[in-house]
Amino acid sequence: MSPTSFFNLSFLPKYTSFFIKGVEYTLLISIVSVLIAVIPALLLALMRLSKSRVIRSISGIYIAIFRSTPLLVQLALVYYGLFNLVKIPSYHLFGFINLAMFIPGVVALALNSAAYVAEIFRAGILAVDSGQNEAARSLGLPASASMRYVVLPQAIKNILPALANEVITMVKESSILSTLGMMELMWAAKTVSATTYITIGPYVLAALVYFTINYPASKAIDAIERRMRRGDKR
Amino acid sequence: MATSDKLISVKQLSKTYNKGEVVALNNCNIDIYRGEVVVIIGPSGSGKSTLLRSLNMLEAPTKGDIFFEGVNLADKKVNIDLHRRRMGMVFQHFNLFPHMTVLQNITLVPTKLKIKTQAEANKTAYALLERIGLSDKANEYPSMLSGGQKQRIAIVRSLAMNPEVMLFDEPTSALDPEMVGEVLSLIKDLAKEGMTMVIVTHEMGFAKEVATRAVFMADGAILEENTPKALFDQPVDPRLKDFLSKVL
Ligand SMILES: Nc1ncnc2c1ncn2[C@@H]1O[C@H](COP(=O)(O)OP(=O)(O)OP(=O)(O)O)[C@@H](O)[C@H]1O
Ligand SMILES: [Mg+2]
Repeated sequence: MSPTSFFNLSFLPKYTSFFIKGVEYTLLISIVSVLIAVIPALLLALMRLSKSRVIRSISGIYIAIFRSTPLLVQLALVYYGLFNLVKIPSYHLFGFINLAMFIPGVVALALNSAAYVAEIFRAGILAVDSGQNEAARSLGLPASASMRYVVLPQAIKNILPALANEVITMVKESSILSTLGMMELMWAAKTVSATTYITIGPYVLAALVYFTINYPASKAIDAIERRMRRGDKR
Repeated sequence: MATSDKLISVKQLSKTYNKGEVVALNNCNIDIYRGEVVVIIGPSGSGKSTLLRSLNMLEAPTKGDIFFEGVNLADKKVNIDLHRRRMGMVFQHFNLFPHMTVLQNITLVPTKLKIKTQAEANKTAYALLERIGLSDKANEYPSMLSGGQKQRIAIVRSLAMNPEVMLFDEPTSALDPEMVGEVLSLIKDLAKEGMTMVIVTHEMGFAKEVATRAVFMADGAILEENTPKALFDQPVDPRLKDFLSKVL
């Protein structure tokens, strides 16, 4: 194998559309999964901060399970298990996204992401000065209203950058969906490699594409976060 | 004073942290009567904040009872939110809501609790801001204000709830010296109007001037209480004598 085979992109003009669709699939499923994860994650985070030990542990168990088992296993369980019982009609979105595959993928990623995003929410809420909640409660505001009007609006600032980082993580992690034939970026590389017998080039291109999405995005998030911190005065 | 004037009654209150390792309050008993201004003094760690924060149940007692207007707040069946409305609390670090304007800070709770419409709440807020000379700051965010302004706004935010009693935890300790005066003078005005107040403070001159009763705490216990003049001028407890010799 010669070093030049790394840069053998001769498959390119012909198979470009595979990669474009792959990127679109990857971005769509990553963003949708994290967005869907937000609601259960908020619930899990609030449960985690609850006074009741039972409620705290229910949430704790969920988070522990999803953080301590491989995403690939979770994906298999969701796809072969859950969606063996719930059948989704084969409907194509934008012509190339087969919902029968996409939805189980989203569900698996979202269930997984919810565990991580819950911890993001929890950390964001805990980072709000406890005096804020105390002031609200001492005025007679119930705990839920204090959370909603006083604590959460301030926690958002801590949460949003971490949430954006979670999307970046998902862009990478979603490559696992290729194992089930979901046509995201990694699947495109695999398929092109198999059809053209060019072993390395397509993966090099995939790596480049992942990098050019994630690296600038994470730098941008860092910059925004730093800027928000600077604007923070008490 | 008649017992009906008794606003708060603390009975055998104890509070421990870390499963009893830290004793913050040890069997405290105190009654607060309407119209009284009670100052609490004592060395750091003596339990002053814990006692004050127990009065509105920001700290749940380990043992003992707190009666407010005859209702035992330590009873878990009591809806504490209803009673907290009637007990204003002012914190050392102001705790204004930084994501809201001054006006929103003052009107949030009265409107969310549906005690007032937004228009009514605004009217009250402007009247209160007028009183402290800060009506031009109504639409500013707290970050634009000085410490003294923030604390005065925190005080009127509590007043907007029409409380029966105001609790202050070292309201001037976080302020630059030149701003202490404006906050103390607002508290003095409230005293003159007959507001019942419990004030934890390190400002001994102010304590002597404003208080109707002074309480000395050490090691989680109330060791001595008296008129401020007697407490400061004729201390009995050796620890109070020692404390006063250091702070006066
Ligand atoms: N949340 C907590 N967990 C553990 N210990 C605590 C907690 N809050 C207070 N304590 C302890 O309880 C004791 C009383 O504390 P408290 O804050 O009431 O003292 P204080 O008189 O207000 O002191 P200062 O003048 O420094 O404000 C201290 O020993 C303190 O360390
Ligand atoms: Mg204190």
